[in-house]
Amino acid sequence: MVRGWRLKFIDRLTKIDRRIIYGILALVVILPLVFPTALKVKPMTPVEKLYEAVDNIPDEKALLLDCSYAPQIKAEVEPMAIAVLRHAFAKRKRVLVLALYVQMLGLAQKALTQVTGEFNSKAQTNADSIIYGRDYVFLGWTPPPLIPMLGMGESIAGVYPADYYGNQTDTLELMQQIKNYNNIGILVCLSGSAIPKSWVAYAQNRFGVAVGVGCTAVSGADFYPYYQTGQFSGLMVGMKGAAEYEELVEENLEIKEKRMASEAMLPMTYAHFVIMLFIIIGNIGYFIQRRRK
Amino acid sequence: MNLSSDPWVWIAALLSLAIFSFLYKENPFYRVAEHVFIGVANGYLVTFYWHNILVPVLFKPLFAGRLILIISFIIGTLYFTRFIPKISWLVRIPIGITIGYYTGAYIPAIIQASIIRQVQGTILTSANFAAWNAGPWGIVWSVIVFIGVLCTLSYFYFSKEHKGVLGVTSRIGIVFVMIGFGAAFGYTVMARVSLLIGRFQFLLGDWLGIIQ
Repeated sequence: MVRGWRLKFIDRLTKIDRRIIYGILALVVILPLVFPTALKVKPMTPVEKLYEAVDNIPDEKALLLDCSYAPQIKAEVEPMAIAVLRHAFAKRKRVLVLALYVQMLGLAQKALTQVTGEFNSKAQTNADSIIYGRDYVFLGWTPPPLIPMLGMGESIAGVYPADYYGNQTDTLELMQQIKNYNNIGILVCLSGSAIPKSWVAYAQNRFGVAVGVGCTAVSGADFYPYYQTGQFSGLMVGMKGAAEYEELVEENLEIKEKRMASEAMLPMTYAHFVIMLFIIIGNIGYFIQRRRK
Repeated sequence: MNLSSDPWVWIAALLSLAIFSFLYKENPFYRVAEHVFIGVANGYLVTFYWHNILVPVLFKPLFAGRLILIISFIIGTLYFTRFIPKISWLVRIPIGITIGYYTGAYIPAIIQASIIRQVQGTILTSANFAAWNAGPWGIVWSVIVFIGVLCTLSYFYFSKEHKGVLGVTSRIGIVFVMIGFGAAFGYTVMARVSLLIGRFQFLLGDWLGIIQ
């Protein structure tokens, strides 16, 4: 009788309704979001390298931020964009922002508006403020991606004659000093596709631009070899990478703002435990069933 | 709880819930959300390309007298010959130009960035040992990468039966391939969980106002 009950239990283990699994997963994600507890994130070397590369941009050069992330990967990559922008503006680095595809423009603008708003709400003087045209420029979008990648080696204003808002680019104060890749300290590409490899192939191979990357976790395994060879100056992978960068920004610059990725680390941990548990349960059931046959 | 009063947040939240409902089973709410997404995405792209590319880059300069652009206009228009069976072969011209351009632009650059530099990264040199930032352990990691690359390549060598030395190296190669798949799968799980968390952050925060 005990054996029959046990067999029935094992059968059930291998046939758990997927809706139960989804329900449990939703619960372990929602509860830590509603009742958050602090989870310290330890920054890894690839993220620290990226932070140092942005930190060490010479005063006469600019950060070129490629916000090529679409809405479907916003949760992973947007916190990276916000953290990098906070870092750059806090250190008074000059910033150029662009997107290689049209769907990404709105998200890039949203990140810029949020971070400049955070700084300007605390600014006391004009010098403290982050001002468009002086401290940053939103270049917008020019298709196809190969054109800006190669063209900016000669002239950024040539590739983007007008910025995202329709201003003539070469009339902006910042663009008087930032002419081409020679004036770029590092190019940080935030993307969920193979775009960072293209930046390496065209901007780095031909013009020697340093490339830093923030990518989705799915792309992580593909991109580590490029970090190992030094083609990427630094690398942030997935929401965890974003949380590590947020940690560095808060720790070093004492910027106390909302940290979307860091807040997600606790539900992320619990969700991984649940998935591992179900993988183990499924495998135990499978092996016992196979032995029975 | 502080419900959002922004109608756009409500639309986004209800569409998110409609998509989530597919996890229970296929239903009309899911299908409506799916169709709305496809329609909106296509409409957005078409209008954006029209107003930001075709009009300012092609039509305005063309009608202002830059007649050279008529060549681009004609080549682009040839894509539509696909809908006229008698002259549909003309579509090969723009396709050929596109393939030729991108092949020429990509192949040399990709060979340099993704093959030559990657092979350089595999060679056992003191610079590569130092690149790991791991002290003496850098040598160990470099040797592992070196063995891994050689063994994995030997697994994909099919001109000789996998026996003897080749049998051993190809078996080691499989281990490296499996570890690679495992890492990729683990990262994929993390990515999908991240997206789920992102949606819940929106639903519980921006929409319901339960979390700050």
